[in-house]
Amino acid sequence: MKSKVIILGLIFCYVLVVVPFSSYLKNRPVMLKLGYVPAGKVLRAIVGDQRYLTAEIYIVRVLFYFGELFGINRERVAVTPEYFNMYRTLENAVLLDPYNTDAYYFSQAAFTWELGRVREVNSMLKHGMKYRTWDYQLPFFVGFNSAFFLNDYQAAAEYMKRAAELSGNPLFTNLAARYFYEAGKTDFGIAFLETMAKSAHDRKLKRIYEVRIEALRAERFLAGAVDRFEKERGRMPESLRELVTSNLIEKIPLDPYGGRFYLDRSGKVRSTSKFAFRE
Amino acid sequence: MRLFLALTSVTLRGILRDRMLRAILGTVLLLILLVPVFSMFSMRQVQELAITITLSAISFFLLVMSLLLGSSSVWRDIERRYTSSILTLPVSRRAYILGKFSGIAIFIVCCGLFLFLVSVPVIMFAASSYPSDVPVHWLNIALAIGADILKYLLVAALALLFSTISTSFFLPFFATIAVYLAGSASQEVFEYVSGQFGTELQPASVAVIKGVYYILPNFSAFNLKVPAIYGLSHSPGGLALTTLYGVIYVVILLVLAIKIFSRRQLP
Amino acid sequence: MKSESIHSIEISSLSKTYKGRKGKAVEALSELSLTIQNGEICGFLGPNGAGKSTTIKILMGLITATSGTATLCGLPVTDPGARKRVGYLPENPSLFDYLTAREYLALCGRAFAMDGESILRESQRVLELLDLREAADRPVRGYSKGMVQRLGLARTLLHDPDVFILDEPMSGLDPVGRALVKDILKDLKSRGKTVFFSTHITADVEVVCDRVAVIVGGRLRSVDVVDELLESGIEGYDIQVKNCAPALYAGLTSSPKASDITEIYVPRDRFNEFLAHLGKNGGDIHLIEPKRKDLEAFFLDILGKG
Repeated sequence: MKSKVIILGLIFCYVLVVVPFSSYLKNRPVMLKLGYVPAGKVLRAIVGDQRYLTAEIYIVRVLFYFGELFGINRERVAVTPEYFNMYRTLENAVLLDPYNTDAYYFSQAAFTWELGRVREVNSMLKHGMKYRTWDYQLPFFVGFNSAFFLNDYQAAAEYMKRAAELSGNPLFTNLAARYFYEAGKTDFGIAFLETMAKSAHDRKLKRIYEVRIEALRAERFLAGAVDRFEKERGRMPESLRELVTSNLIEKIPLDPYGGRFYLDRSGKVRSTSKFAFRE
Repeated sequence: MRLFLALTSVTLRGILRDRMLRAILGTVLLLILLVPVFSMFSMRQVQELAITITLSAISFFLLVMSLLLGSSSVWRDIERRYTSSILTLPVSRRAYILGKFSGIAIFIVCCGLFLFLVSVPVIMFAASSYPSDVPVHWLNIALAIGADILKYLLVAALALLFSTISTSFFLPFFATIAVYLAGSASQEVFEYVSGQFGTELQPASVAVIKGVYYILPNFSAFNLKVPAIYGLSHSPGGLALTTLYGVIYVVILLVLAIKIFSRRQLP
Repeated sequence: MKSESIHSIEISSLSKTYKGRKGKAVEALSELSLTIQNGEICGFLGPNGAGKSTTIKILMGLITATSGTATLCGLPVTDPGARKRVGYLPENPSLFDYLTAREYLALCGRAFAMDGESILRESQRVLELLDLREAADRPVRGYSKGMVQRLGLARTLLHDPDVFILDEPMSGLDPVGRALVKDILKDLKSRGKTVFFSTHITADVEVVCDRVAVIVGGRLRSVDVVDELLESGIEGYDIQVKNCAPALYAGLTSSPKASDITEIYVPRDRFNEFLAHLGKNGGDIHLIEPKRKDLEAFFLDILGKG
């Protein structure tokens, strides 16, 4: 009887504490959640045989964190994602296990546009190519990044050729060549993303691509309207609103990253979000 | 009270006279003393790395100790029939369990404090050779070790609980490791399931995951290493909640252990 | 302080059922009732596996009875306080092997709420009594089996309790140790202590016990006063006679012992008759020795009946 009272009392106390406790944990700063990862080389010496497991744990941690971030953003809660910490974590993960594809795919999907760390992502991908010699996706990514972000068409052609050889599919060489000469950067990007979205199995990755495609389509739509405006009127529009008032388009599309589209001085369509989730 | 102290000191003596534990302590001490050497691996953040390795070594040592001591406690006394020579004195089973736990707890706390004192000059040395732009936050380092101590008291209580049920080393040892791993990951899983991903799952499985989350001990809350390494600030309310949570959880585990042990038939 | 009606040990209809293999119930103890008076030495006799240890473990609170009750000095055995005035020796005691004898005794002293000074004094006394003084500051790990047994006994004597419960106190001891334990038991008896001890060696019971309880297969078979038992066990007498006419012992077993001495075995029922004949016909009695069933035969009898 007495011990039952004690146990019930303790459970009551536990419930009283655990509710505010878990909400405190949920709202902790993100860096605290993602944690600090020691430098890959040191870590590799310490974890020894378990480095593959450790790498996987780090990658899963980043994926979990990112998945949760998407949830938050859907509810329009402003959070600055800890992109750099995510990137560093993955960078260390591939040092531990250079074969883990998730790290490469995720880095390519998340860190090129958002973080602008194209050179770092490329060097990570090249590191992976040394190990995953059969994987056509890695040279494909590097080729795309070289062309799209770095304007290094020679390197891009080289890597696309390698991707084509590995996959036995000439599509990749065509992709680079055709879009670059016939269309423009935006169309090239959309084509790349559509290929990626089609082959992505993970819902989070698919979602990253889909949001990006939506943004690029909106950008292409607006850029097309600006072109038509220029042809009809012989001058650049003052602002994007002018496209609507002159009945060229019905309305300015929404930026899926939560930003607002605007026209910069050179007449390019841009967004305040810079196409990344930001505060 | 004198009896309780006597039981505690018997447990402590048993721990201190164990040669294997001394060997592990020696290894960890050596590791911490070698931290300045390890820290050279890092070009840019020697101080941060020194703090990381020191905290990790202390944390790992306390984990091993709490696991070994907790899971080799009660069942072993039963197997060796020490219980028949001590519980036939006017000693209640409650006093026995509490004495056992407090002996282990005092050892863990003392080891944590001792290793903290050893790590102070080591970190100072590493930090002085390559000064960082972040000053060393001693309070945060102490808090991180304190939280670790509390976490491993929780682990020890858990292992003790399992060892009151068990007749061998395996159940308490592996069950505690399993709960430790699950409890370290539960926060991430919980947040993941609470987010968008949760809407894609069956509501029933989400409810089960959330239920398990509230029951499992939440070990990730006691990880204060990042603020210690980068000198981020703490929220006092959060620290208080974490402490309260840890203490209540330990008490619940001990009450359960006493309850189970009181019913156990002894040889 | 203690009222006369409170017995040292009172066991009433105690049963213990274990869950055996395949969920089969194994009855280790069945409806055992036994009362040990104050100041009595009672032997608890039974073959291995009869339930002696089970009974004693229930008394010491190590296991719980399935049904029935037991008290020590009037307190139920489930109360740790019941063990305050009890000295207990487990069967093959296993003491914390990393402690020294002195440390172990100090722990026991604390448990019995003795003060520091008397712990030191009494430890010294019992260590000397059991010849452990030289080993007192070494860890128990290095003790021989006999030394551990003696340390276990030392523990029971430490706080000078009123009731002693000893599980196989003689086991593991050499002849010197046995003699020592017998002396201690006799001393306890002379000081009016109550002793309840289990054994499977009947000779131990004969020497020191007032009463003996025999348990077989978890059931109490008999409780007897040892002296009466021994008396009732007399079956006949060996009589050595001098200068006796052979006709006198015709029909009785006889054997010549010396040139003029003959030993004759006379059954109990013919003893008086034989003495009368001898008185009438002349002849000297050299020696009379009663021949009796010993406890062992008595014990085997009980076992045989079962």
